[in-house]
Amino acid sequence: MAAAGRPGLAGLFAVYKPAGVAWGRVRDAVETRLLRELNAAPVRAPRQRVRFLPAPAPGGGGAVELVAARVPVLADHPLVRGPRFKKLKIGAGHRLDVKASGVFVLGVGHGNKLLTDLYNCHLTKVYIVGGLFGKATDDFSDTGNLVEKTTFDHITREKLERILAVIQGTNQKALLMYSNIDMKTQEAYELAVKGLIRPMGKCPPIITAVRCLHFALPEFQLEIHCLHETQQYLRKMVHEMGLELKSSAVCTQVRRIRDGVFTVDDALPRTQWNLQSIQEAIQNCQLKVETELEKTLGHGKSSPLYQLGGDTAEHALAAAEYDRDVMDSRRKEVNCSSLPPFP
Amino acid sequence: RRGLGAAAGPPSTRQLREAEEAAPVFQYAGKAAKRKDRVFVWGFSYSGALGVPSFVKPDAGWKKPRRIQGTPYRLETEEKISSAACGYGFTLLASNTRDITKVWGTGLNKDSQLGFQRSRRDQTKGYEYVLEPSPIPLPLEKPQQTRVLQVSCGRAHSLVLTDSEGVFTMGNNSYGQCGRKVVEDEIYSGSHLIHQLKEFDSQVVQVVCGQDHSLFRTKKGSVYACGWGADGQTGLGHYNITSVPTKLHGDIAGVNIIQVSSYGDCCLAVSDEGDVFGWGNSEYLQLASVTETTQVNVPRHLPFKIGKVKEAACGGTGNAVLTEEGNVFVWGYGILGKGPNLIETAVPEMIPPSLFGCSDFSPNVRVARVRCGLSQFAALTNRGELFVWGKNLRGCLGTGRMEDQYFPWRVTVPGEVVDVACGVDHMVSLVRSFT
Repeated sequence: MAAAGRPGLAGLFAVYKPAGVAWGRVRDAVETRLLRELNAAPVRAPRQRVRFLPAPAPGGGGAVELVAARVPVLADHPLVRGPRFKKLKIGAGHRLDVKASGVFVLGVGHGNKLLTDLYNCHLTKVYIVGGLFGKATDDFSDTGNLVEKTTFDHITREKLERILAVIQGTNQKALLMYSNIDMKTQEAYELAVKGLIRPMGKCPPIITAVRCLHFALPEFQLEIHCLHETQQYLRKMVHEMGLELKSSAVCTQVRRIRDGVFTVDDALPRTQWNLQSIQEAIQNCQLKVETELEKTLGHGKSSPLYQLGGDTAEHALAAAEYDRDVMDSRRKEVNCSSLPPFP
Repeated sequence: RRGLGAAAGPPSTRQLREAEEAAPVFQYAGKAAKRKDRVFVWGFSYSGALGVPSFVKPDAGWKKPRRIQGTPYRLETEEKISSAACGYGFTLLASNTRDITKVWGTGLNKDSQLGFQRSRRDQTKGYEYVLEPSPIPLPLEKPQQTRVLQVSCGRAHSLVLTDSEGVFTMGNNSYGQCGRKVVEDEIYSGSHLIHQLKEFDSQVVQVVCGQDHSLFRTKKGSVYACGWGADGQTGLGHYNITSVPTKLHGDIAGVNIIQVSSYGDCCLAVSDEGDVFGWGNSEYLQLASVTETTQVNVPRHLPFKIGKVKEAACGGTGNAVLTEEGNVFVWGYGILGKGPNLIETAVPEMIPPSLFGCSDFSPNVRVARVRCGLSQFAALTNRGELFVWGKNLRGCLGTGRMEDQYFPWRVTVPGEVVDVACGVDHMVSLVRSFT
């Protein structure tokens, strides 16, 4: 798998997952397309070797003489070897369920190591959630079995915003409580003032901000910033908002527009799932990802960025320094050994 | 409908759609549904101040006595409560109604601060602890026309402000805080006496109780005081007891005062121009910006450069003011709300608005009201959220935890908080439901 580690194809990129498709299929589809293009690339010319092949003698009548001929080695023939790349290591970031759509981060090659680090950064994700008043279903979406129908003409935008304010308030409290900081310290106070308190470990789904984008009875649309959530949790939240407003609501659309540092602008639509676009996407996002990881996790010799051996200037410098040290020490050894033995 | 011969199967899309359209529609709230007004209480319950008798004397076998109610608990009231006040172990709730019963009291009644509550076991004696909000009989001339505007509670006395019949005072009068002459060896327990005060230069619009003194603010902007004065909290220029409400002078003479506040032994007043005046106890640096003495018995102007002040709140050892822009400034001694490192300051320090929920995402959040208990602070935002901080004495902060809170913390109340009253170890909030 020598050239699968080619420098262009290691890193993180985002893909726009359409609704109605499982995330596994999207990952497989991207892998298949990349493999197809990589295998379609022109291969090296097959090795040649000199073979002595029997050829009819000029004399005539059945005599065979050996003639030197340069023939390609059959072992290098594509039909013998098979496709050059059979599998690619493509890992998925935060998953999206079948009914949801939006930004879906994938890592390829060595970039998979960055996926765990991005997960540990606990960055917020932004969703656009669309809802519909008047119905309640068993799986909280508009395609489920109907449970109840209610009136909704008493709902106003002001009431909805009040509920959203309370949701934000309780989730802010949860944010502070799960961040495992002792509330009695000055450090906790300063972090709370700056708004930098964030749980860095396991915690239940927390919503950091909600906003109503669009309100036209019976439909409404919310922008939700959250952590550690699942899409079904967001649908359940829409259902509970309906209950709180003394009516009922179902969720019609869950669309992720931002996952950490990747936004919808960085996500590739299905028409661009090819090698060229993916390589460009990886290049464009590399700097953003590195700055975010450094900011949150800190930079050190043990950080995976260093081990990735990417081609940023810092790493080149550090690598050069390391090489120089090695060369110096080796030169010292050589000099010592070239000294004539002490007579 | 399928005939008997057709096989069963999952319902088709058309059948599902028809079933959905034929389903009945339920109505839970009509278009004119009004938001309901509720009262939530939390804190120490054994004094009866929370008004829930089953916390003190369980009425079912499985219930256990609850010493501290750590989170907001709904108190069912018959009428809509428009004003509430917390004293030292007792609570007064008042409604704006024209019915005969306008004020209810619950909690400690050892000094008849809740009026005379006739005991059912012995008709001649009164209850010393009232466990449920019980009506307080006020000697009104026109009980079906007068409305109660506001109530206020101190350590062992309470004041009730009406719109046309002056101020009613009841409770302990050993320092003249009820506005009547001090009677030697008076027994306050089981007393029927409720005094009425009417002699002010204009109609009284706000009554405030300090620990053992009373302040009255009139429509013309002047302030009257009576009660204990050993710390100068009456502001009348001496350190003696005053048993008749007397007008204050000093730096507030001629100034139109729009709000007065007190809970311990220090008092603050805000003028219509946004200036702050203070008098009373200054042992905890409350008035250290103008004087080094520990007692100030004449109102002094506090030259703070923090902008136009809208509202002031006095606690036992710390004070807070709210400016027109919606910022909260604190000073004094104790847990002031800026982390454990700020224990005392003589100059007001601002609490960062981000602690009240103001951020880039929601920049319009402002603090609308600020209130003080004895060693706690409470702030209400314009979004109806309640933030508390300070010493968590017997769970009075309502956060659900027993630890002190060094910076503003949200209290989860199922509704929009309209007003809050802070006491020594309990709090009462007036809340409107969301929908």
